Amino acid sequence: MSVQSKAGARSAKWVLGAPLILFSAVFVAVPVFQGIQTSFYALTLQQSSAPFAGLQNYRDLFSSPDFLNAAKFTIGFALTVTTIETILGFALAMLVNRTFPGKKIFFTLLLVPIMVAPALLGVMFRLLLNGDIGLVPALLDKVGLHIALFAPDSIIPLLVVLDIMQWTPFTFLIIYAGLQSFPTDVLEAAQIDGAGRVRTITSVILPIMKPILFAAVFLRLIDAIRTFDVIYVLTAGGPGTKTTTLSIFIYKTAFESGEFGLAAAGSTVIMIVLLPLIPLLVKRIARQQGDLA
Amino acid sequence: MTTRSTRSMATSSRPSHKRKLWGTSLVVGLIAIGINVPWLNALLVSFKTEGDIGRGALSTNFAPTVEHYKNALGAAGYDFPRFFLNSTLIALGAVILVLVISVPSTYAAVRLGFGGRLIMNTSSGLRLLPAIFFAVPYFLLMSNLHLLDTVPALILANTFLNLPLGIILLSAGFRDIPVEVEEAAWVDGASTYRTLFSVVVPMLAPTIVAVAVLAFIFSWNDYLFALVLASSNATPITLGAANFVTSTGIRWGDISAATVLSTLPPVLFAIFAQRYLVSGLSSGAVKG
Repeated sequence: MSVQSKAGARSAKWVLGAPLILFSAVFVAVPVFQGIQTSFYALTLQQSSAPFAGLQNYRDLFSSPDFLNAAKFTIGFALTVTTIETILGFALAMLVNRTFPGKKIFFTLLLVPIMVAPALLGVMFRLLLNGDIGLVPALLDKVGLHIALFAPDSIIPLLVVLDIMQWTPFTFLIIYAGLQSFPTDVLEAAQIDGAGRVRTITSVILPIMKPILFAAVFLRLIDAIRTFDVIYVLTAGGPGTKTTTLSIFIYKTAFESGEFGLAAAGSTVIMIVLLPLIPLLVKRIARQQGDLA
Repeated sequence: MTTRSTRSMATSSRPSHKRKLWGTSLVVGLIAIGINVPWLNALLVSFKTEGDIGRGALSTNFAPTVEHYKNALGAAGYDFPRFFLNSTLIALGAVILVLVISVPSTYAAVRLGFGGRLIMNTSSGLRLLPAIFFAVPYFLLMSNLHLLDTVPALILANTFLNLPLGIILLSAGFRDIPVEVEEAAWVDGASTYRTLFSVVVPMLAPTIVAVAVLAFIFSWNDYLFALVLASSNATPITLGAANFVTSTGIRWGDISAATVLSTLPPVLFAIFAQRYLVSGLSSGAVKG
């Protein structure tokens, strides 16, 4: 590189970077700042100028049973679905990781649920589970099971099952992509050694796959913690507040009760809890540049 | 069964390599169809008359109709055509803004030392924060800018959601291009800008297309920001369909047709961009 082009590059980097600087200032930095700032004010939907409230919103938040219940439900739900979806995704990836007739079309079909808008999937679930015209109640009826799917007792297991249908393809895809970089000669060597299939999995595949499984768990968990669309469309957090996730709690606090300050405090608490995880994510994304070729 | 077939593949002679694993096809096929039952069910219902729908889900003997598709596309006076138009404008607008911002700045970050690690780290870190964190601030911001319930507000929000994805995918792409290519262009007297736009960008076309496709899908599928920022004029199809279903006296045939139609663009795009899905989903704005 000549001296001239070096000087040119120095100015060029600011010209080329200008759109990002501008956008980030207005649409990233300001919202983050305002989100934290709002949590210290008694701001509501109705009044635009609000008095400084100090830590009152945080005190209200931690004494609000709705917030604590939402946190409990969200964590329980996220851990449950992540565990099941990782196990099923791994099993499915092992099953698909070979050549078989129709692989291409089935593989594509397996990925469709990830790409359907979750809100629209919620609408389709409502159709599927509708008491009068839904396929699932009709089938249950036929085998003599009369279950009220949306009753308080069955609603959480129902949501877990629906989440598994929706997101197992995600963990499957991450794990399957990992298997592609798995050295096949190691696998074949293990099989020639006479290691049974179970032993091949536990003592050869699982140890090598650890980072990929960790990535699948990690990514799925942070998405499960923010679950909003499907549950909101299906139950709006009900019955009562039984299925209110943290995202639904914050949304309702802000836009139904109009308590912006309290909602912002809730958001800030979630951010503070998740912040220590960022380095993990940065490392993961920096390493993962391999696509599903 | 699977044990035997895999083992024989590894140990026995060539012909067995060609043995078809129909058992695997059957199991994987059943799972693939099973998880798509919600969509397939909506597809089936969308072709039934309201009378046939009322007769229950198990009635397979019905005369197919395209009436619901006509209704969804405007015949019945619903707002669906406008919702589709809004979704298209929002998604296309976000794609364009994401590219306009991320292509030059990521190049500057990767090759010219712009921003150093800060840009990559912030982009990766934003993946972690729940979209809901930005709901209240974006509502206040758009209210201050007098942009509530406008398409530009949703374009800007979705640009924000998808920008990290663009930066992360593009930085991998830029790094894969040999520096020698750019040095050759410089030696020939091309400016940094010409080098970027007429040498580097064409080489990066596949990655740019992947970013465009993924940003389109995620913007099209957004629900939370639509719920917060749109009330009527800017309503996209996700919000429109969900609102329709919570209102009383649901016309299930019409809503099924609208839902099936609105899942088509992202699904078709996704098939097209399948090989980029992994990095897209790892770094992208999966919210729901």
